[in-house]
Amino acid sequence: MRFELLQPRSLPEALEMKGKYGDKAKLLAGGTDLMVLMKERGLRTEVVLSLRGIRELDFIRSQDGRGVTLGALATHSAVARSSIIRKNFPDLVEACAQVSCIQIQNLGTVGGNLCNASPAADAAPPLLVLDAVLTLASTRGERRVPIHEFFLGPRQTVLMSDEILKEVFIPQTADRRGATYLKLGKRKAMEIAIIGIGVAIHLNGSDREITDCRIAMGSVAPTPVRARQGEEILRGQEVNDELIEETAVAAAEEARPISDVRGSREYRLDMIRVLCRRATRAALARARGNGVEG
Amino acid sequence: MKIPVTLKVNGETYELAIAPHRTLLDVLREEIQLTGTKKGCDVGDCGACTVLLDGKPVNSCLILAATVQNSEILTIEGLAKNGKLHPLQKAFLKDGAVQCGFCTPGVLMSLKALVDTNPSPTLDDVKTAMAGNLCRCTGYTKMFKAVETATRSL
Repeated sequence: MRFELLQPRSLPEALEMKGKYGDKAKLLAGGTDLMVLMKERGLRTEVVLSLRGIRELDFIRSQDGRGVTLGALATHSAVARSSIIRKNFPDLVEACAQVSCIQIQNLGTVGGNLCNASPAADAAPPLLVLDAVLTLASTRGERRVPIHEFFLGPRQTVLMSDEILKEVFIPQTADRRGATYLKLGKRKAMEIAIIGIGVAIHLNGSDREITDCRIAMGSVAPTPVRARQGEEILRGQEVNDELIEETAVAAAEEARPISDVRGSREYRLDMIRVLCRRATRAALARARGNGVEG
Repeated sequence: MKIPVTLKVNGETYELAIAPHRTLLDVLREEIQLTGTKKGCDVGDCGACTVLLDGKPVNSCLILAATVQNSEILTIEGLAKNGKLHPLQKAFLKDGAVQCGFCTPGVLMSLKALVDTNPSPTLDDVKTAMAGNLCRCTGYTKMFKAVETATRSL
């Protein structure tokens, strides 16, 4: 572990540096992935570009009813404790509060979790369900990328070598929304998801018709993915157990899990069905129970 | 190549010259000789290296020391005040919550952060707060009891 350490104080300064060094510079936010990659997996880099000193990236801001923006340095614990997030996006709270343990939640950032692009990233399924939009910045300017276009494969994203994730925008959701994130692991903490599922249900005024359904899955494919065929089964329908079961089966059919040390392909496919069913019922109960609170 | 780094640890300011790759854990132990903070896994899995960074528990093995120069760092050595043990430390002694002792400093820092923000934690709160601290003697039960003892006296 030998490298030059750059510590910019502003985003423009950081972008200049990233533009100059490109792939030679690894970005450091919370360090909970990069430090482990360097120490345990032998990752070498000439330059570490620490974003920690850039105060302007450390925020969670309500956008006047249009949604909420997370700065790239917002930690998992800051997001899980934020009153704006707790009020609107309980699924994101559940995901952030299930990342490893408190020490890691206090260091690790949601932005870093996305950029690390693990198929198991806990923050990814809720943000996919929420149709979050990522702002990627470079000295060339900024571009906005919908999260479902961001991931390319394990540890691969559309980020160019001169770009830095600046912020994550979460559009405001309809009032009668219920959502949850369920994570399957062998233990409650310090765990990488065997699978993770985020489901959101939007109801119409009568509580019967599902106006929108969104499902996203982690650890079931090379990237976190939406289960769009499963969603389609529930969208516009009146709720019943058979449809929920059909949806869960469709979600499992859309998954392309591998067998690894955490679980076999077959086990994951079974568990997608089980968790999708549970998450859909929980999301539905929340949507019925309260409009905004989830 | 070494760079100048200023750290605020337990209320003291330390002016150091260190290589940029060195972690807060290694600098605490090897440069400042505060060896109460332990090195277990060194990759953020065990919690033995837990210190408080601006009041929040973090794994000091995952932090580059040079990146936390504007923060207040509290280690186990800073937990006692004016020669008086913190109520959690007293309770750990009273209830026999220390076995081999290797995880104890990290556990105490996690629990200190908990009771600072939540003076009457439930058992679930305590378990969540300690989830990132592994005790390989598996002596958790007495630690839970000690937290109860301590929070009664807080």
